[in-house]
Amino acid sequence: MAKPRKTRGESLVLRYAVLGTWALICLLPILWFLSIGFRPRTEVITPEPIYFPTFSLDAWHLLVSDWPIAQYLRNSIIAVAGSVVIDLILAIPAAYALSRYEFKGREDIGFYILSTRMMAPAIVAVPIFFLFKTVGLLDSVWALMLIYAAINLSLVTWIIRSYMLDIPKELEDAARTDGASDLRILWEIIIPACLPGIITAAVIAAIFAINEFLFTLLIASTANAYTMSVALANFTGGSDGIIYNAIALVSFIAFVPILILVILIQKHLSRGLTMGAVKG
Amino acid sequence: MASIQLKNIVKRYGAFVGVQNMTLDIADEEFLVLLGPSGCGKTTTMRMIAGLEEPTDGEIIIGGEVVNEIDARDRDVAMVFQGYALYPNMSIYENIRFPLRMRGIPASEHDARIRKAAEMVELGSFLDRKPGALSGGQRQRAALARAVVRQPQVFLMDEPLSNLDAKLRQSMRVQIKHMQRQLKVTTVYVTHDQIEAMTLADRIVIMNKGAIQQVGTPDEIYSDPANTFVAGFIGSPPMNLIEGNAQNGRFTAPGVSVPCPAHVRGSVTLGIRPEDCRVGGDHVQGQVYGVEPTGDVTYLTVLAGTKKIEVKAARDYRSEIDVPIGIAFDPAHLYFFDESGQRIRGAE
Repeated sequence: MAKPRKTRGESLVLRYAVLGTWALICLLPILWFLSIGFRPRTEVITPEPIYFPTFSLDAWHLLVSDWPIAQYLRNSIIAVAGSVVIDLILAIPAAYALSRYEFKGREDIGFYILSTRMMAPAIVAVPIFFLFKTVGLLDSVWALMLIYAAINLSLVTWIIRSYMLDIPKELEDAARTDGASDLRILWEIIIPACLPGIITAAVIAAIFAINEFLFTLLIASTANAYTMSVALANFTGGSDGIIYNAIALVSFIAFVPILILVILIQKHLSRGLTMGAVKG
Repeated sequence: MASIQLKNIVKRYGAFVGVQNMTLDIADEEFLVLLGPSGCGKTTTMRMIAGLEEPTDGEIIIGGEVVNEIDARDRDVAMVFQGYALYPNMSIYENIRFPLRMRGIPASEHDARIRKAAEMVELGSFLDRKPGALSGGQRQRAALARAVVRQPQVFLMDEPLSNLDAKLRQSMRVQIKHMQRQLKVTTVYVTHDQIEAMTLADRIVIMNKGAIQQVGTPDEIYSDPANTFVAGFIGSPPMNLIEGNAQNGRFTAPGVSVPCPAHVRGSVTLGIRPEDCRVGGDHVQGQVYGVEPTGDVTYLTVLAGTKKIEVKAARDYRSEIDVPIGIAFDPAHLYFFDESGQRIRGAE
């Protein structure tokens, strides 16, 4: 006897149920800290369950009045955007050379660039601190910009390189016989052709930079250079104790730009990540 | 417009020899086809003429000037690629304009030249599209327009039709030939398709394993092959090559016995084209292996010993398999090759 077959509709319902549950599990922490962020502080730390939470902008008022949150956000944006620009300026020509020119030790150089990524950041933390102290860049947004750029340069180079490898060699041959110089080819043919890769690399670098904590903590000591990621830590101590609702709200504010970036490049993100990380 | 000379061109990749000691004169306005199986060095030769690859040894002369040291972008050479190589981010208009911009041709001339080139390949109404929105044939026509727009000294075409379907290939072939005659630009065309070579070329260069096998007009290549490689490569189906023995004016092989010139002796190969074989006769005694009607002609395969012999039979010829059959060869069109594969000429 034949088994009763599932109709298309039934299996679709099942599929949505499974995916929906999974999405809910993933979204729950985000919804949770959003809800914490908009509740009064007393309600957040009460041991009894609360079924109908009170909506409150306490945390928001606290942030705006007591903390230079706009300054933190601005620091984050300047340091991150600047680092991405530096990365692209350096990585695009490097990736082009690594993907196209034949030269001795090309593979070794490529691997060496990637290997800088494998080092535990803590190992270089102390030298970096003294380096920036010597050049007088402690507690400065510019220092953060340089550090973020350095951290992500290898990854950005590697991702862009993998996209450039996919561009048919014929395209460059055609441009060359059409009379274009190397620089023209890079600018007019290669960069437009691997623009999705460049954007992906830039967004990934931006996400890593926004989340960077260790070096930021090391370099930044005042609101001059505090970014969103380090500012979060400021709410956990001091005479006020741990201000949970403010932390939740700042987390959310820090999270939104990343969310927007990820949505923008959703299509390319997984490819960028796996290529950068896995493909040799 | 220019002639091209290749003088003792060698291209080595480490121990591998891509092109060995190639010498060739290409006349001004000539349509020359480099024909050979893949890996025979024909594309490498073309890329060296373009300047995309450097010869290991030898001289390349275009229009009387040695160009070995001249970069690809400064040689006045336009190339059409197998994969079209259109710039995906630019419209067709911008694609065709690219070489004009790169070569510093005054912007005031661009529009007229682009439109003229596009008209020539019947692509006038697609100028604002991106390459991705065009079919394969349209893309290849756009690539052709990009090549002709700047009126180069030399056209190089690297298997430009091999990504197209058979019907389109035929119409593009005619278009390319028409264009070449119209523009009178020296053209080097690489292909592995003998039909393309035969239909397009003023002269064909047949290459194998990096070396020239024969240079000649399509007629010469077809009716006067220099060796078994050329004989077996040209023709569809290709020439039958039957290994056997010749002595006392008779060539014999299992199932085959044909009179041959007296000076042909010893272990030789007999070549006979399918259209020079006739059903009925006693040069070959074998069985019918297969019959393939194509409409205008029927191909018959005869098994003689272990050798399959192709015969072009009358269009209405039909037979069951394994039926005994006799085949006659046209004695005026027998070719003999020695053990090294070279043609045995002389009093034939």
